[in-house]
Amino acid sequence: MVAVALPLLVSSCGSEEKAPVTQAAASTPGVIVEDAWVRSTAGAKDTTMTAAFMSLTNPGDTDIKLTSATSPAAGLVQLHEMAMKDGKMVMQEKAGGINVPAGSHAHLAPSGDHVMLMELKQSLKPGDELPLTLKFSDGSTHDLTLPVKAFTEEEEHYHPTPTPTPASSTTPTPAS
Amino acid sequence: MTGRPSRRQLFGYAGAAAAGAAITGGVVAGDFAALGKDNGNGNGSGNGPAVLAADIDSYGDHQPAVAAPSPKHAELVALNLLGGTDKAALGRLMRLWTADIVALGAGRPAPGDTAPELAVPGVALTVTVGLGPRIFILPGLTSFKPGGLDDLPVMSHDRLDPAWSGGDLLLLVGADDAVSVVHAVRRLVADAAPFAKPAWRQTGFWNGTGPDGTPVTGRNLFGQVDGSGNPAPGTPDFDTTVWSADGPAWFRGGTTLVVRRIRMNLDTWDELTRSEQERAVGRKLSNGAPLTGATERDELDLEKRDADGRLVIAENAHARLSHHSENDGRRIFRKGLNYVQDTGATRESGLIFLSYQADVAGQFLPLLARLDAADALNEWTTTIGSAVFAIPPGFREGGWVARELLE
Repeated sequence: MVAVALPLLVSSCGSEEKAPVTQAAASTPGVIVEDAWVRSTAGAKDTTMTAAFMSLTNPGDTDIKLTSATSPAAGLVQLHEMAMKDGKMVMQEKAGGINVPAGSHAHLAPSGDHVMLMELKQSLKPGDELPLTLKFSDGSTHDLTLPVKAFTEEEEHYHPTPTPTPASSTTPTPAS
Repeated sequence: MTGRPSRRQLFGYAGAAAAGAAITGGVVAGDFAALGKDNGNGNGSGNGPAVLAADIDSYGDHQPAVAAPSPKHAELVALNLLGGTDKAALGRLMRLWTADIVALGAGRPAPGDTAPELAVPGVALTVTVGLGPRIFILPGLTSFKPGGLDDLPVMSHDRLDPAWSGGDLLLLVGADDAVSVVHAVRRLVADAAPFAKPAWRQTGFWNGTGPDGTPVTGRNLFGQVDGSGNPAPGTPDFDTTVWSADGPAWFRGGTTLVVRRIRMNLDTWDELTRSEQERAVGRKLSNGAPLTGATERDELDLEKRDADGRLVIAENAHARLSHHSENDGRRIFRKGLNYVQDTGATRESGLIFLSYQADVAGQFLPLLARLDAADALNEWTTTIGSAVFAIPPGFREGGWVARELLE
């Protein structure tokens, strides 16, 4: 990654967008949600649960938390983190929600923080879409439509088993 | 652009490893600014030195690669729809692809990227999406087909291979880096798997940068400066040549793309003298100037004769036959990608000819028929693949490719 000087960031904008970054921050534009997607349940042992991922950016000068999420397709939606417990990575509900620091990002990604969807009303196939509503601590909500994508996740993260699944479960999606 | 600054303009992408850093790479002064051009939504000149090579904005009135300089590396993938892909499914695919295009174009991994480290900024990555004629057979789309969007009739010199022809969808991915092209294609094709499967792929390359770093027209593998007669992006000539202004409302600001895979016989071409090579085209090999002129952009003098009374630009010279003054003013905007296809020790060389025009039947087909009948270059060129696509207009933040057609 190459760090760039702040004034240059503005130069890529159109002429009507020359407001300095600080001004944008002062107007507390809220969290920007990008690159959201949800993992398909195809091939999963338990097709009633899956996880959604995304990038959250907070251009403002106050921390904002993702406090909850809901979806008509899931009976229960929680915000989860991965944590070490007894030397093992486990998934647990994240107390207080997921913080998006002022002037920075929070990345919800496989093996990290994620939106956990449980009690799914039907399985999710690649190519489907899932509605998801996010609620933030600044009172804002975001209604999203997430693409459902195939992704080979470390299976035991979501479905703990006494014996780890075979190595085949870590094979990436076939290259195209 | 919308008035609201996007995340990308405020921040770069802080990858997982760099999370927490407020400002990182991936945000740059516009590529067009660096090249002294304007893509219609930049401010023309950067306020500071260009950072990295520059990314091209995915948003705009038009899909951005059409008017942009040719990328150094490109891949075209034609896909055919799977049986169950209807209008609604096509909409889901376009939303999916749009999210991928926006992320990859900004140097971020595509959502669900299995190799996120291969997504890098500063490579001017672009993705152009096209819709083949058969898309408009789908229920709900039959009355929205752009006029004249049909597979081209087979020309007398064509030796078309179905393996390089047709297709329901097109992805044209370009970048200044081959790894980035391959990675983007891999993601886009993998994400399309529930909807469509590849029918053919063509990989090509182009050098559109001069020794001093400024944009140049570039050369094909015959050594010819190729594309000198194009209307210049940003001019009214370009706009009327390329962008659809009538026809179905969803297609305003769109264009059509003809893809012709043209095999070039370099062995017999190399047996010609230099002057024979120049006569076949009507331009000088040194700088692409017309044989009647001194510099590349000089207008052709189609009447000029030499001391023996012969036309300096021959009757069958490619530059004459394809000139708009000889074609009732019809113009096209043509780009090219050189290709090589190796089978063991055997190499085939050629040109992936790309022609953009508002109307295939009205602008391109008459020109093609004329060249097929008489072009001197036909002796050394054979078209082995042919496909036609509608290139939907561009999209804004919150929008997606072909939304006005599919929603």
